[in-house]
Order: sequence, then C-alpha cells, then structure tokens
Amino acid sequence: MLTFDHVTKQFGALKAIDDVSFKVKPGIITAVIGPNGAGKSTLVNMAAGSYGVSSGRILVDGVELQRLPKHRIAHAGLARTYQNIRLFDGMSVVKNLEVALVPPKVGRLVADTFGLTGRAAAEERRARCHAVLERLGLAAHAEQQAGSLAYGQQKLVELARAVVAGPRVLLLDEPAAGLNHGETELLKQHILALRAPDLAMVLIEHDMKLIMSISDTIVVMNRGQVLAQGNAAEIRANTEVQEAYLGQPGAIRDIEAAARGRRNRVRIREGEGLTWHQP
Amino acid sequence: MALVPVLALIAGQFLPAYPLRILDMILLYAILGLGLNIIVGYAGLLDLGYVAFYAIGAYSWALLASGQFDIHLPFALVLLIGASLAGLAGILLGIPVLRLRGDYLAIVTLGFGEIIRVLMNNLDGVTNGPQGIARIDEAHLFGWTLSTPEDFLYLLVAMLVVVFLFVWRIQESALGTALSAVREDQDAARGCGIDTTRVKLVAFALSAFIGGGCGVVFAAMQRFVSPESFTFWESLIIVLVIVIGGLGNPFGALLGATLLILIPELLRAYADYRLLLYGMALVIIILARPRGIISRAFGPSWLMRRLGGGKC
Repeated sequence: MLTFDHVTKQFGALKAIDDVSFKVKPGIITAVIGPNGAGKSTLVNMAAGSYGVSSGRILVDGVELQRLPKHRIAHAGLARTYQNIRLFDGMSVVKNLEVALVPPKVGRLVADTFGLTGRAAAEERRARCHAVLERLGLAAHAEQQAGSLAYGQQKLVELARAVVAGPRVLLLDEPAAGLNHGETELLKQHILALRAPDLAMVLIEHDMKLIMSISDTIVVMNRGQVLAQGNAAEIRANTEVQEAYLGQPGAIRDIEAAARGRRNRVRIREGEGLTWHQP
Repeated sequence: MALVPVLALIAGQFLPAYPLRILDMILLYAILGLGLNIIVGYAGLLDLGYVAFYAIGAYSWALLASGQFDIHLPFALVLLIGASLAGLAGILLGIPVLRLRGDYLAIVTLGFGEIIRVLMNNLDGVTNGPQGIARIDEAHLFGWTLSTPEDFLYLLVAMLVVVFLFVWRIQESALGTALSAVREDQDAARGCGIDTTRVKLVAFALSAFIGGGCGVVFAAMQRFVSPESFTFWESLIIVLVIVIGGLGNPFGALLGATLLILIPELLRAYADYRLLLYGMALVIIILARPRGIISRAFGPSWLMRRLGGGKC
C-alpha cells in the first residue's frame, strides 16, 4: 500500500502539489490522470525520492519515504519506470535486471566479491532475472546490449527491471508513451499479468483508451489537487472532471486526441520517426 | 593469460638485464592499469591523480625500510601497510570528492595528485624534499632477496596474476554490476537501490590499494624515491594505458602497458624524434580504435560466443 498523506510540493511560489491525500491499494491498478501540469509526474518523482517533499508524508506499508535517500526508498519496496527510458545502455539486458538485485549492504558486496560466499546467491539472482525476462517475452534478448534493442523492447526491459526485485509498489510513468498500437496492446497484457495481491500499481498515462481498459480505480488530478477518484465509468460520467479538462462536457475525447499528438511527438524525439502515424 | 607466467619464467632465465628491466616496467604499469581500471573503466569516474596513491606506497617503503628514520620493516609488512595507507587515502579523498562528476572530479583528483607530490617535495624533515630518499633497503620476501630485475620479474608476475584475478572477480560480481550501473546512469542506479556513494568509495579504496602496492614495489625496485617520479605525467601514462588498451577490460591494461612502455624504448634509436613518433603512434591507435584496442566485452565468454557461432 502506497499512501500520500497531506502531501504538498512547493516550487518557489508555485504549489505544484497542494495537500494531496490518497491511498494506492495493493492488488489493483490505480491510474493517475490529469491535464499537463496537473502534478502527476511531480507526485511520482516525490515518491521515488527525486524531489523532496515540502510537507506531508508518503508511506510504503507504513514506512515513511520522504526523508529517505533514493536507494533506501528502493529497498523499502518502491520501484519505478521512467517517462524517458533510462536503461543502462552499455550493459546486457540481464545485467540491467541484476542491478536491481545487487545486495543492499556494501560490506556484503565486498565479502561476496572476494570470498567464496555469495556464489549460490549470485546464481539465484541470475535465475530470477531470467525468469522475469521469460515472463515478459524477452528471454531471447537476455545477452543483448540494452541500448541496441528496439524502443518498445527497451520499455519492456525497464518494466522487467522494475519488477524483478519484487517491489510492493510499482510506479509506471507513461509506459505507453511512444509505443505503437500493437506494442501498447502487448504492454497492456503484461501490466495486467503483473497484477498481484501484494503489489500496489500506479499508472500515469495519457493514453485514455489504455487507462479506461486496465485501471481498477482512477485518480484525477488538476492544478496540484485531487479532483475525483473512482472507476472508469464514474470518471467518464463526472462532469467536474470533464470541465476541468477543457471547461466543457465531452472533453475526454479532446484529451485522447491531445494524448495521441503527444505520443507522436515523443516518437520523433526518440528518433523513431519511421513509424510516424497520423492521429 | 595463463601463458604470461610461463613466458615470464622463460624470459627471466634467458633475457639480459636491460630488457628485463623494461619487462618489469611493463608489468608494473599493467598492474597500475588494472587498479585504475576499477575507477575509470568500471565506475566511469575519471581519476587524473592516481599517481598520488602510487607515491604513498613508494614513500611507505622509503620511510619504513631505510636509514631515513632507521626503521627497517620487512617487505611483506610494508607492502600491506603501503597499500592500506593508499586505500585509506582513497577513502579520505573519496568522501568529499565523490559528489562531483565528470570533468569536476577529474580536476579535483588531478589537484590531489599534485598536492601529494608537493607535500613530498616540501616535507624536508620527513621525505628529504626534492633530494629524495636514497639507500633504501633491499627487499626480502620470506627469505628470498629481491635485488636483480629477474627477481622483481617473478614478484611482479605473481602480483599481476593476483591483481588480475582480483579485478576479474570484481567485474563478474555484484559489485562490478553495481559499478557498471553507476557508470551508465547514476540516478537510475540509485533508483534501483544502489548506494552509489558507498559503492564508489569501495571502488576508490580498492583502486588506491592496488596503486599503493605498486608504489611499494617500485620503491623497492629503484631503491631511491624522489617527488620527481610522481608527476602528473605518470598519472597520464596510467590513464593512457587503459584508454589505449581498452577501458573496462583487464586484458586491455596488459596490452596498453606493453605498448606504452615498449614503443618509447623501441624508438630510442631515433633520439630527437622519439617523443614525436611516440605521440604519433598514440594518435594513430586512438584514431583507429577510439574505444581502445580491446573492447569492453572481450573475455572468455565473448570468445566462446564468437567461436561457437553464437551458441553459448
């Protein structure tokens, strides 16, 4: 369970997040949506320790995260993917996953390196990585350099790296950005398959079709505040939500169009202009 | 790799002193390269002051086994002390500077290298200043006297094998994985749970430890040390050893050291043009192989894949 408890984030005079409280329950997929600048990414970056928290608390299963350094947050059971892929490009796919399983204690790390201990543990870690790669259909690419894979596959490797350590909370920051229709469909199947009773999943996405089809609950944000929370049908019917987007009912369609436009921009930026398609 | 000790034993029997001395230098720089590789090649942190650790090791032997203070400790003990002191210096240097990245880290480490040299130059009462320390003891290791280049050849080969295996172990272990992650993307590494500060400190300490050990052997070999031996030029040569040979690959350090020591020796006949030709040779190598002669991935498993036609 991931809890935001009266969280506020101030950037100078700007309140990017204003007294936000909600819970992300394990076993289900919680989507966070909202127009650009609503504070979705800020929220993720605060939970993962990239941004400090101005006030309030963020907890994973009762452990307060807001004062922990980034690596300790990971040890507390929070894993994430990034809006712009951040793999270790020069390393093999399986090594990318192994990074997430490196023993947390440095003393242990040194002992493993020079002692004869740790050999069995290393084998076990490797086996775990291969099992996750198998699950996500990446087994054939295990020894390939991560940076040499296609964009869609890199996104999946990032997902694999996030789940390999068995996190309690998984933050997916625009996992479908830049993916084509087929790749998005594949990603959707994988995300649904990752649903587990003890895993709280947060999905930040602009692809409304994806959100509406896989989210169990949706949190709508606007101007740093939580505007509404409910399932897909409730959110669709909520006039307040529709107004927040463009000030008129029926705005969800416009958001979807905007999201598609954004996706295309991302694609070009990633140098994948070959698969450019009109919205 | 297994051939190196065998070849060295044969060489030790048949070669005269001068080529043996060159061989010793090649081995010494190969070990230094292996040590520096931990920091530069694996963790991706450019350290331009590696010579400082080398100097700390060298002065350890010079001060603890000479008439300077009339202390005469055994070689094996000083080898341990010198390497440990250097490792400690690595940690002390690492704590403040490892917040820095890239160029800034390079500049600060460069400064540290110079500080140590200037310190040795000015601590007249302790180090004899620019005159250096002469008449250093002959090294004895378990009843074996190390005096001729041949003796040192055997010692250096043994050290090379040990350090090579040590570095190889790091590369293949979780520590190596953590260091590579730091090199590739430090923030993402932290997000994956790597305590980047501590991991970098460990790398710095291990690297410095090896540099210190090399310094002790260097001082025992020359039986004379002075600050002149530890200029920025030396740091640069060690960096070049691994850059030319191939960053992040232990075989690269071996090849790099061989080329960097051998080329200037072979060019001795051309006296005036020697450094010019040396520089040209290095430029040509870098133009032809900008990432070093031996690629990072090269190793037994890489060979097996290549020879086995993709099957592993």
